[in-house]
Amino acid sequence: MGSGASGLTLALLLGLNGRKVLLLEKASHIGGSLCRFYKEGVPFDTGFHFTGGFSSGGILTDMLHVLGFTDSVKPIFFSAPGAVVFVFEQNGAVYDMPSGMENFRVATHKYFPNESAAIEEYFNRVKKVCQSTVTLDLRKIALSAEPIDEDFVSLEDTLNASTANPILKGLLSVVCLCYGTNPKEVSFANHARVSAGLYNSVARIENGGQAFIQAFRDFSVKSNITILCNTTISECANVRDDRVGEFILDNGDKVFADDCTFTIHPHEIIKILPRQHMTKAFIERVSSLETSNGFFSVFGIVENADPATFGPSITSLLPTCDINALLDPLYTGSGALVIVRSIEKNKDKTYCVINAFEPEFYSRLKQWADSKVGNRPPAYLEYKERKVNEIRERICKAFPQYRSNLKILGAASALTFRDYLFSPEGNAYGIKQKIGQFNLFGKQSLLNIYVAGQSAILPGLVGAMLSSFIVARNIIGKEEFSSFIEKELCN
Amino acid sequence: MTEQDIIKMVNEVFADSFEIEKGKLKPEANIFNDLGLDSLDIVDLVVALQKKFGITIRSDERVRNIRTLGDIYQFILIIKKEIGK
Repeated sequence: MGSGASGLTLALLLGLNGRKVLLLEKASHIGGSLCRFYKEGVPFDTGFHFTGGFSSGGILTDMLHVLGFTDSVKPIFFSAPGAVVFVFEQNGAVYDMPSGMENFRVATHKYFPNESAAIEEYFNRVKKVCQSTVTLDLRKIALSAEPIDEDFVSLEDTLNASTANPILKGLLSVVCLCYGTNPKEVSFANHARVSAGLYNSVARIENGGQAFIQAFRDFSVKSNITILCNTTISECANVRDDRVGEFILDNGDKVFADDCTFTIHPHEIIKILPRQHMTKAFIERVSSLETSNGFFSVFGIVENADPATFGPSITSLLPTCDINALLDPLYTGSGALVIVRSIEKNKDKTYCVINAFEPEFYSRLKQWADSKVGNRPPAYLEYKERKVNEIRERICKAFPQYRSNLKILGAASALTFRDYLFSPEGNAYGIKQKIGQFNLFGKQSLLNIYVAGQSAILPGLVGAMLSSFIVARNIIGKEEFSSFIEKELCN
Repeated sequence: MTEQDIIKMVNEVFADSFEIEKGKLKPEANIFNDLGLDSLDIVDLVVALQKKFGITIRSDERVRNIRTLGDIYQFILIIKKEIGK
């Protein structure tokens, strides 16, 4: 159930191992936030813009290799000078961060010459966390990971213990914006796991997440995978010996399946599981998992720009170095704005595309929560227009050369994402990964029900895919799965 | 917080969050065989106890050794003492 990166990965792993798979998707098309959409012929990304893990020997490279996607899902690295830039608007400081953890560390030293002890401690701890996280190695995902000290201390407390420099703290915690949990609430360990991947390399996928979806489609036609869109499970029925006997779809069809994996938001899962087979403690635990923020996105092109000098780049404008504020729904100042420049092609035409997005919080859109696409109240449309104008102005300030040729073709709020992608509250990262919390993941009390997805272990493409590799191992069987991984990795 | 307070609050977690009859909540009750929890319920139990007592519980050896309701009373007592230090 669910056909985002996690659902597609799991369906493929099961298909590659000879299982018969029914992939269910509530929306009218598969892919979740990997999808692209077209406006005036220009392809735009919805939810997936860049990822870590693509470096040689990186976990994402290995996972794509196992899926047989090496030739179809190709990285475009943000590695040139100026490709990954952070601008702290309060003092105008600009940090151009190079690719590779070692280079990133050296550059941080260069920018903060008086903070060498704090910088060394930070990167040493990041490395230590990665070394003790066995799940980041595909051959070792079998090993259960014992929690480490860094799982129980927040990013903020860790940074506060070693430096008082607010800008350095901002720079070292800015990755929080890429996973949606603030420095006070995220453990240093989870911050390190996501950050290390991005420090090592930041890349997008050629043709965006759509390349992943297309590669999946190409494979699914020659395997035993059936795709059913506009469909969800309405009831788990006929439970015997702690196993669900049949899954009743919302179109009334009954499905008999050995196992069922949910890759959807945890809050949606407890709406489907049978109430009499869940304890109140379980429902309370899952309900208390907090949904992450969404984004307000603006989609535009720069006409007559020279593709040769048009990125790819990611420029993050940070009005304050207090990352907690930038992820706080009650913060009313100007938001963090991420501007991605990329070259996109469609039918022999080349476009210089700008996608800019800012964290957005459902609690601030609640007054319009009951409205749907095409039926929004005027106040919402005014809000949207005001946001677009604000963001356009900030793009033009960062890139004055585009002022006269920047054409905005569309915009989307968290409500738009909610309604197109069926993501609760228009969230971008599933649930927030808060310290000391226990996520919903793996085999459940109903023995043929599993949970994977970006809320399971780590957010983003890598975390979503990884959770599916671990669940696939449970379903397929440990030995069969490890020989499959070994064979595919050597292939 | 006295030992009696802890016993009362732990029992409330079992009665409220796991819907177990109060009559079954005796110190010697085995949480798996007598109270019907399974290994996956332990996560929910830890989360419920954390919330009830405002503490952080690491899923370490001590949690894995819990068998009876009495073990839980002792476990919370020790954690409360550790925090007191």
